[in-house]
Amino acid sequence: MTDPTAPTDPNDTGGIDDAGGGPPRDPTLRRPDGGTTALEDDRDAELDRGPFQRWVANSISHPERVYRAMFYVAAIFFLVTTLFPFYWLLMVALTPEGQLQDIVFTPNGFNPSAFVEVFEVIPFHVYMFNSFVIALASTVVVLVIASLAGYAFGRLEFPGRTPLMLLVLVISFFPPAAFFIPLNDLFNTSFVFLEPITGDGTLYNTPFALVTPLSAIFMPLAIFILTTFYGQIPDGLEDAARVEGTTRLGALFRVIIPLSAPGVATAGVLTFIAVYNEFFFSFLMTDGQPENWAPILDGILAYQGQYEVLYNLMAAASILGVIPVAILVVIAQEKIVSGLTAGALKE
Amino acid sequence: MSRVRLENIMKRYGDETAVDDISLEVQDGEFVTFVGPSGCGKSTTMETVAGLTQPTAGRVYIGDDDVTDLAPKDRGVAMVFQNIALFPHMDVYENISFGLRLRKYDDEEVRQRVEEAADIVQLEGMLDRMPKEMSGGQQQRVGIARAIVRNPDVFLMDEPLANLDAKLRVHMRTELQRLQRELDATVIYVTHDQAEAMTMSNRIAVLNDGRLQQIAPPLVCYNEPTNLFVAGFIGSPSMNFVEGTLVEGGLEMTNFTVALDPSRLPDAAVGDAVTLGIRPEDVHLSSYAESLASSTDRIDARTDVLEPMGDEVFVYLLLSEAATGSMEQDPAASPNQLLMSVTPDTEIEAGQDVDVVLDRSKIHLFDTATGDALVHGITDLPDREPGTTPTEADS
Repeated sequence: MTDPTAPTDPNDTGGIDDAGGGPPRDPTLRRPDGGTTALEDDRDAELDRGPFQRWVANSISHPERVYRAMFYVAAIFFLVTTLFPFYWLLMVALTPEGQLQDIVFTPNGFNPSAFVEVFEVIPFHVYMFNSFVIALASTVVVLVIASLAGYAFGRLEFPGRTPLMLLVLVISFFPPAAFFIPLNDLFNTSFVFLEPITGDGTLYNTPFALVTPLSAIFMPLAIFILTTFYGQIPDGLEDAARVEGTTRLGALFRVIIPLSAPGVATAGVLTFIAVYNEFFFSFLMTDGQPENWAPILDGILAYQGQYEVLYNLMAAASILGVIPVAILVVIAQEKIVSGLTAGALKE
Repeated sequence: MSRVRLENIMKRYGDETAVDDISLEVQDGEFVTFVGPSGCGKSTTMETVAGLTQPTAGRVYIGDDDVTDLAPKDRGVAMVFQNIALFPHMDVYENISFGLRLRKYDDEEVRQRVEEAADIVQLEGMLDRMPKEMSGGQQQRVGIARAIVRNPDVFLMDEPLANLDAKLRVHMRTELQRLQRELDATVIYVTHDQAEAMTMSNRIAVLNDGRLQQIAPPLVCYNEPTNLFVAGFIGSPSMNFVEGTLVEGGLEMTNFTVALDPSRLPDAAVGDAVTLGIRPEDVHLSSYAESLASSTDRIDARTDVLEPMGDEVFVYLLLSEAATGSMEQDPAASPNQLLMSVTPDTEIEAGQDVDVVLDRSKIHLFDTATGDALVHGITDLPDREPGTTPTEADS
């Protein structure tokens, strides 16, 4: 336990006196015999090491510095990977058409009118509206049906609950492509009873062709989220609501759902974003015409003509398309947080 | 009319029978308490009245109507819950008015009735608070206000005081009694706390294992329990039980014998196993024997542990030399132990040899095999008829 750097002194008692109790010694204190103290703070004395070894030793004794450094590295990595594409989109959008080569970090010129032009070349606002309506409708459908399912799975005991839950889980793993051909066939089949609604009796080129499959595909996730939340509401509250005068459904909508607001918001936002961003069905279930409920995706692709591709407008349209989702997330985040703090269940 | 009548209520969960053939009737304006140990079916029975649980068999009547198949909201009952169950996302006013608003009363009437109800439970000025900003007692008062505001036929209270602290519980106990008198309401009250049951009720229904053991006024349950379970459950500390055998001229137990004439006992004969029950306050030091109308012979005992409670002292007595206090057995059930309660000024200490006597008029005899009470009080006067037979459970 002697300090290897300290000169060996035959008169040195080996620091044994210092090892026992006593308050930590001031490291600058020299021993009367001229040697340094062997032990300080019960830690080994600094070895003579290279800079890397010193850094490693330092990290081991102060891990929180490493964690902080790792946090910054990870945060910067994710910020760059998520935000850089937006930055670059903005650069492309601001660059005037014809100078689109060699954009690195700055736009070649400054042309904000691209954000107006996108609406002049094609009716992009109609595509946005279509997407918004489709996403909103799917979210409503998902929340209503998943609420009922979540109530049943989360709060009721019935035979076959676990197998049914597993079935929902399994179905959620199916690739959407597996559904496409039968669904496309179905949506192109004419039904007489649909004629008053869709004109030709098919669902192709109507919002239903998107809302129906997309709701179904994103339903399982919402069911799982809501099952967990609804299952945690104390039975007493539902009983109280029912004795006070609601039906089971009334208790669900008046008590259980308001108390599960964070869960409902989470499920809703996830569904909305997923449907809004969805590519596969969005691309295939309409003919791409804005009046036929084509979503944003078709709008962005519409800037791609046979002889030219308006990359700057595509970029501008992409940025505009993100705005509704960004707003929604900001609002919903506030709701989720406020729901978490207000949901003070005392049971 | 707000009588509640249960007819052969039965509730099974799979193979488990939670409630087994319970029939009883609660009169208009009566306060009946369901009491029993955990899992005895008392809450389930109440839930069948509320409609929150559908009985497997049997009918529920409120007033003259069969409500067995009605939804809870259509039964005219209000319920106060153990976990209070206020809606956390609504303020006090919204909580209390929840039922009225669902029934589409006009705002003016709702406001008026909520204020009245809040007055009764002394919640004036707190109507716009959120439940989480209130103390447990205030929350439970909101729960009670929510129940009374609808002016229901029947109040169901499922251990409403169980989550309150001890002092508040005693206070709320008196408030609930006052409230019940003021409203002249029919109340069914569930508790496992027999002090609540004894003090508040017109009648107590003692349940065990899903069966109704006895339904009678509190003091009848205390003084004339129909069986071993009721005798052991009602009263704190519990009644002493000593198992013995009927012989000619007496009841013989391991450590002592009580003289009696077996032929006077209904439903019992010489040779039958009989359990003697005696409450701690009816075990006396022999010096006290003269003041009793009729006492048993002296029983030798040694004091084991003293538990001074302030107003009385519980003395654990060991009856046989060999026996030391066994920790494994419930003292009240061990044949070698007796629990005695004495006044605090009695001079007694642990490890002392004493003689005790039992008050014969307070001795209960039970058939050991069935648990049914045979007789309450064996004063054993020559011409006296054997003690009154227990009242039947149904009334």
